[in-house]
Amino acid sequence: MSKKYAVLPCNGLDKCAGQMSKEIALLVCEQGASELICPVFYQVTDARYDKIAKENPLLVIDGCASRFASKLVAAKNLKIDRKLMVTEEAQKRGIQLGLEPLRLSEKEVDLCKVFVAELLKEDVDAPIAATGTSLTYPVPEDYIVYTKDKFIFRIPKAGFYFTESDCWVQLCGNLARIGVTDFVQHSLSDIMFFTPPVLDMDVEQFGEVGVIESGKAVYELVCPVSGKVKAVNNELLTAPELINQNPYEQGWIAEIELSNFSEEQDFLLTPDEYLKVLEKKVADFHVKK
Amino acid sequence: MSEDTFMGVPRKTIDWKPTIDYEKCNYCMECFDFCPHKVFEKREDEEIKLVVVNPLNCVVFCRACSKTCGLDALTFPNKIEVSKKIKETRAGGSSNE
Repeated sequence: MSKKYAVLPCNGLDKCAGQMSKEIALLVCEQGASELICPVFYQVTDARYDKIAKENPLLVIDGCASRFASKLVAAKNLKIDRKLMVTEEAQKRGIQLGLEPLRLSEKEVDLCKVFVAELLKEDVDAPIAATGTSLTYPVPEDYIVYTKDKFIFRIPKAGFYFTESDCWVQLCGNLARIGVTDFVQHSLSDIMFFTPPVLDMDVEQFGEVGVIESGKAVYELVCPVSGKVKAVNNELLTAPELINQNPYEQGWIAEIELSNFSEEQDFLLTPDEYLKVLEKKVADFHVKK
Repeated sequence: MSEDTFMGVPRKTIDWKPTIDYEKCNYCMECFDFCPHKVFEKREDEEIKLVVVNPLNCVVFCRACSKTCGLDALTFPNKIEVSKKIKETRAGGSSNE
């Protein structure tokens, strides 16, 4: 018996991926006790679907990068349990979805079935383990604090390096934790979804190492160092808001086994250098808003 | 903006900007509305209604606008190659003007 979800697909009727999103939602509901939420109805009023959405784990299906289902969830202040993005999943299999066909052929329906089978299979398989090694990272005690309007930006003073893309790295021997700074979490506002990097994956300096999303935007994490992903903060899968609450401690993203830090250090910023970058970004952002 | 540096090299030596695929773009303007750095400009009276007007304003390694594009019409250079080039430029001491 598969897990019972509240299933919220997008309603992209003008694109193939949107039509597939609807099909996937139906397939999930047919294969278990899951309940379908109509995004159009839910957008207009809470009455019909609020209870279902709040009392069951929420499976969100976005057709394309417009992410209308995710945005609706953000507007309703709900938590996402599982998520599927049709165009991305298709791309992973080397399939580019265009606008057509709007009426799904057997080929697209089969693809939907593959997605659903994988989705439901993952529920049965145990989730990935590894929430950090046994290392204890020093808790940052002293921060540079920069305030603009109601926003407070903190930069840990000791043991951290930064990138101009607003990520940090904290070293502990040959391992390091990485994460995002206060600037990212303030810019995104409420973070609602975390896609972790793959364990044991090799990453280059400034390569992509996971994705975080809010109702506002999708942010690719830029890895400050090269190395191997040794652990992922799995707490973020169920509580991505930890990144908003404290991006330097409970909101850490992943742990990397360093491969070339002595050379790469040269391309990273000290807290004082990052402060200058941050001040400029905040000033630009406020002027242009 | 163009006198800015990134990782110690002049921003203008770094090839990082979105490219619009006009075959795919439907001028929904989601990317225009999203980007706070004025990289895009609307040209309402022209046939091509959206252009990359300030490529140097584009934040190096940011691809967030492409994540707003439902039609996948925005592409960026390869991150790893760009980062390699930045490192080479920096190792070379001066920028290649």
